[in-house]
Amino acid sequence: MITLLKYEIYRRWIWLVLRYAALIIIGAILLNRISTPALQYKFLGESTGKFIFASLVIFVIIIIEGINMLKEDLFEDCGYLTFTIPKKGRTILASKLVLLFMQLVLWTSITVGFGSIFYSKLPYREMVQIKSQVDFSFLPTVLFILTAFFNLVLMIHFSLTLTKTLLVNKKYSSLLSLGIFFFLAYLIEKVYYGPFLNQIRYISLHYGIEAKINFLSGGYTAVFLNIILAAIFFTATSYLLENKINI
Amino acid sequence: MEQILKATQLSKYFYQKKALDKVDINIEKGKIYGILGPNGGGKSTFLKIAAGLLKPSQGEITIDNEKPGVYTKSIVSYLPEINYLYKWMKIKDAVNFFKDLYADFDAEKARESLKFMELEEEEKVTTLSKGMMGRLKLTLALSREAKLYLLDEPLNGIDPISREKIITSILDSYSEKASILICSHLIYYIEKLLDYVFFLSEGRIILSGNAEDLRNKRGMSIDKLFQEVF
Repeated sequence: MITLLKYEIYRRWIWLVLRYAALIIIGAILLNRISTPALQYKFLGESTGKFIFASLVIFVIIIIEGINMLKEDLFEDCGYLTFTIPKKGRTILASKLVLLFMQLVLWTSITVGFGSIFYSKLPYREMVQIKSQVDFSFLPTVLFILTAFFNLVLMIHFSLTLTKTLLVNKKYSSLLSLGIFFFLAYLIEKVYYGPFLNQIRYISLHYGIEAKINFLSGGYTAVFLNIILAAIFFTATSYLLENKINI
Repeated sequence: MEQILKATQLSKYFYQKKALDKVDINIEKGKIYGILGPNGGGKSTFLKIAAGLLKPSQGEITIDNEKPGVYTKSIVSYLPEINYLYKWMKIKDAVNFFKDLYADFDAEKARESLKFMELEEEEKVTTLSKGMMGRLKLTLALSREAKLYLLDEPLNGIDPISREKIITSILDSYSEKASILICSHLIYYIEKLLDYVFFLSEGRIILSGNAEDLRNKRGMSIDKLFQEVF
């Protein structure tokens, strides 16, 4: 897997470097604007907003690239090379996911790093106010977001791979992939997460807690459900890649 | 004689269209085979199934007694008709990629072959002409010590000088341990290489036999026979 990972990085290293360099440079320029005490409060809100926007753009690029990493191999001519390499389907898929994870770690580090600096520039009173408004548990929330992110990407990978198993020509593949994805999203919501959220609602009512129930209310259980789902999608996609796809 | 590939009643359908229809092909070790036929006859489909890129709809295919999968990919060297190399690659990257991912790839042989084919390692694959790309793909495919070589239209769109180089390379790569299966409709150029031929049309084998026997029996070259049959 390391060899494949090496080539996954190698084939897109320029874009990887440019992407994170751009985010760091934007962060540094925005921080520089608020470095003098006179301008600190005047531009703090605007600079923070601009940095969050830049960070979100990079995040969207990471997701799109995470999807395209497999899509290119499935639907373009280079698939002839990727799928004649003597490697298991899970190895090919894992090499792409590991790169995605590495990117996510890098993106999080830069975003949290700059975010902390922007936060430290706030007046003490506002810092306390923001802290008091944050009412979620940090670790389960981070783990939930991380696993939900991988679930989303794996679900799209599965939809693309299933499409390539069912269809040989490219003409209707995007439409079919979208159809499979939305059907899966609906099905998972109804039969997988739905009963779980209902259970939390039931328990909350039982204890007289009136709170808005969402996935984050599930804590580590929701994380566990995400991991199970990601494992199912990973196994199914790997199986299809190795045994069923028609390139 | 030991068989390296065995296809039994192999069929492949694309919706209603039959690309392969109950094809039986056996490939013995140490021989060069040709699958000959017009475009759209099912030649490439057969090679893609053997390479593990397509799954058969019916029938069975085994290579070294295994169904196409990770093991067979490690002993089969496949040259597709299309440009399958990643666009970011230079020629040296392609050589390194093959060296890293195929245990049987001989990088030294590849470098010698690149010189013979007059290809520069620093050139990007996207800048190569069709002839140069054909020579590069063949260099990569034949630099593996594979048990079975699958060559899909290795001469298609290639200029006469490159054709000669390619045929010389194929002959140089021949060994008694390996078998070569060539798909082509340019029979004239490859005829001298072939020990055995299959004529494939509309997914069916309509004629097959030892190349020398066919020539003697029909009193004409395989190229002439091809023109007569199709």
